Amino acid sequence: MATLILDNGAGTAKIGFSTDSEPKIIPNCITKAKNVRTRIFVGDQIDECKDLSSLYYLLPFQKGFIVNWEIEKQVWDHVFSKDVCQVDFNETTVMITEPFFNFPSVGEAINEVIFEEYQFQALHRTQAPTLTCYKHQTDKETSGSLFGTLVVDSGYSFSHIVPFYKNKPVKEAIIRINVGGKVLTNHLKEVISYRQLMVMDETYVINQMKEDVCYVSTQFNKDMSIARCKGPENSISQDYILPDYTHIKRGYVRSRSEAGKLKGDEQMIRMTNERFAIPELLFHPNDVGIQEMGISESIMHSLSLVEKELVPHLLNNIVLTGGNALLPGFQSRVFMDVRSMANDDMDVGVSTPKNPVTYAWHAGCDFSLDPTFPSLCVSRHEYEEYGHSVCTTKFNVS
Amino acid sequence: MADKRESVRIKDGQQMRVLDEAARRRRQRKALEALEQDNFSEDPHADLKMSKKAPKFEEVMDASSSLAGLKKKRKSKGDFKLRYRKTFAALLEEVHMQNKDGPSYITACAPPSQLPERHFCSVCGFPSNYTCVVCGSRYCCVKCLGTHQDTRCLKWTA
Repeated sequence: MATLILDNGAGTAKIGFSTDSEPKIIPNCITKAKNVRTRIFVGDQIDECKDLSSLYYLLPFQKGFIVNWEIEKQVWDHVFSKDVCQVDFNETTVMITEPFFNFPSVGEAINEVIFEEYQFQALHRTQAPTLTCYKHQTDKETSGSLFGTLVVDSGYSFSHIVPFYKNKPVKEAIIRINVGGKVLTNHLKEVISYRQLMVMDETYVINQMKEDVCYVSTQFNKDMSIARCKGPENSISQDYILPDYTHIKRGYVRSRSEAGKLKGDEQMIRMTNERFAIPELLFHPNDVGIQEMGISESIMHSLSLVEKELVPHLLNNIVLTGGNALLPGFQSRVFMDVRSMANDDMDVGVSTPKNPVTYAWHAGCDFSLDPTFPSLCVSRHEYEEYGHSVCTTKFNVS
Repeated sequence: MADKRESVRIKDGQQMRVLDEAARRRRQRKALEALEQDNFSEDPHADLKMSKKAPKFEEVMDASSSLAGLKKKRKSKGDFKLRYRKTFAALLEEVHMQNKDGPSYITACAPPSQLPERHFCSVCGFPSNYTCVVCGSRYCCVKCLGTHQDTRCLKWTA
């Protein structure tokens, strides 16, 4: 029987069979293009759209939780169809991820949709960091079994700090920071629209620009003063040429030698302090008035909530995942901050998997081969017999 | 003669409305809500009926061959919509109602930072030392203050 792994993120869903070598990364939304009035784009169908300006998004998630099932159903219909995964529901076990402290009624809705709408054979619900921890354990097996792993999962809607004792999350010490990729993109849009060019409708373009030019600073104050300089001394300033979707299909950074006049009617955004001040929100949400600790501070706070004996193990095994871990400098910044705040008799180890976005999905593949996996699944038969209660007892959720 | 002479500053001062604490907080909250928005503008195709009413060729074919089947499908979809219609606020309310001990969505939220607040110019984004007396925004130099007064100061209060 096949096992389908669905890491159902609010930004992108990572989906594929456990036998696939890589998952498909599907935008978990429905998009409407301003200039295409005849159709809507479900998930990755947006790749067929030539003009990506002024896209309108319909998202199933709000603040990281599925609230709009109408949209999610359409996206899932698409990803389970032959266009993406060609799922034979009767012969398939599905593993789905959800956020920590998922609302009970959302969890029940997942059960119902999976068993009643799609008729899957069996279901396992878990969280992406739990899978990450599992894979991290096995990947590091050579150095002896790990007591503690601290997973930092910074995604689209929020960032979670999750300490694990062996493979169990320490629930009391899980910290959620309500800053993720979405907030960063929206803030960047706002800042650019005020300072340079109206881009409030260009979520797609600006998100791409964020991924292209933003980085996490490891020397914030120094970078600020460099960004202030004029001329060649300012090594941070970058000119980003926006796509017009006729001649320029994708935005790009203009090389320094070409600086000067714009060709034709090119549109340009000059990125200076925005390059690092935007991702800085992950570490100082207070900069825009979100009264929460940043990632590094939250790590230390989380460590203060676990057993004292576990702390050195956690400090030495910090794993960074989620889309924001792709920001250059993210790992060094976390290391630098944690190192400076932790006791100096303890070692600090921070690592980022090769692909922090799909790591949890790969972990799901590994976990589906674990001998204990079948016992953690709820079959359709069991669901029909016992309903939601059997799901609550079998899945390690809430 | 004397009554014609008057201080510009006093005159301006009377016109100048200074935002109170509540209004500033309201502004701040609005800015934070904007960071959660999915889209800035309304649906560009809101006026269009997206393939719902407009009959497609396939659909007509289906309908003629198995009208009953189609009807059934429609109905289950309608149910589907109703059954799971819960806003984020409603979900949060449920958690509050349950009021169970131990860790939950509410307790997991990161507490306020212990670090001192940092201030950045609302115009150029560089570190700032000054506060606009009218609205409480930050600015770093006279030039940025001028821009701020011409553009944002008091413009977005409601």
